Amino acid sequence: MTSEPDQISAVRRALESLCCDEGLGDQIACEIGLCVNEALANVIRHAYGKAPGKPILISAVCDANSIEVKIRDWGNGVNPTKLPEKPYDPLEPGGLGLICLKRCMNDVRFEPQADGMLLVMKRIKTSAERAPAPAAGGSCCEAPRAGDQRSGR
Amino acid sequence: MSELTSGVDLVPKARVETGPGGTSVIASVRGEIDLHNSPELRGVLLEWIAQHQPKRVILNLGQVPYMDSSAIAVMVEALQKIRKIPGRIFLTDLQPRVKGLLEIARLDSIFVVCADEADALSRN
Repeated sequence: MTSEPDQISAVRRALESLCCDEGLGDQIACEIGLCVNEALANVIRHAYGKAPGKPILISAVCDANSIEVKIRDWGNGVNPTKLPEKPYDPLEPGGLGLICLKRCMNDVRFEPQADGMLLVMKRIKTSAERAPAPAAGGSCCEAPRAGDQRSGR
Repeated sequence: MSELTSGVDLVPKARVETGPGGTSVIASVRGEIDLHNSPELRGVLLEWIAQHQPKRVILNLGQVPYMDSSAIAVMVEALQKIRKIPGRIFLTDLQPRVKGLLEIARLDSIFVVCADEADALSRN
């Protein structure tokens, strides 16, 4: 994909669909979708400073027990986890995206590259999540949507 | 009661009701909200708050299956504006994913979360 905000939702849905197809369950699918959304939004806003047309490469490896998502950008290379930490205040802007990543993923790593950043996120399915659950409202595991993509640049 | 139109698909119209407790702006939001369209929601909410100085804004989110942190940021900004009136923002008919994000953001107790519009209108 490129760094236009209108591309985020298609990538998010593709990752949610992948999780569902691989049997990871609705809860994980929704949370992975949220994390991918937040990570892409951070790349667009911060790494690329909202400049359009910049490349973002997303890849995902999924099995029955986990999913690993990698997001590569060629932006300013700033590692958000190295920025001065301030306590999260829900009434102040910023920081929520990173909180989502840390809360929903088992492992989040920002790996600086010579020309940008590689974000690696991994989510492991817990034993409770291995039990099938009925899809409720807001489910991610619905019929595949037309135009979904699994990855792209 | 009067009706407002926005020209924005996400929240095309609202109604304004004035009673003993002050003015209420009541709107239904529809569709997923993310970085792409959250600026539209921001523009409409801030305009309505500035124009009508409501004591309450009631947002029916029953047709919002998904929102991200940019939507949360918009609602927090609107909350900061309306608190100066002073007023409050009521969120109704939350879908599970939206409710979950509000909980992660620790905003579920800062906004007034109601079952539906009637519930919100009945609150003092």
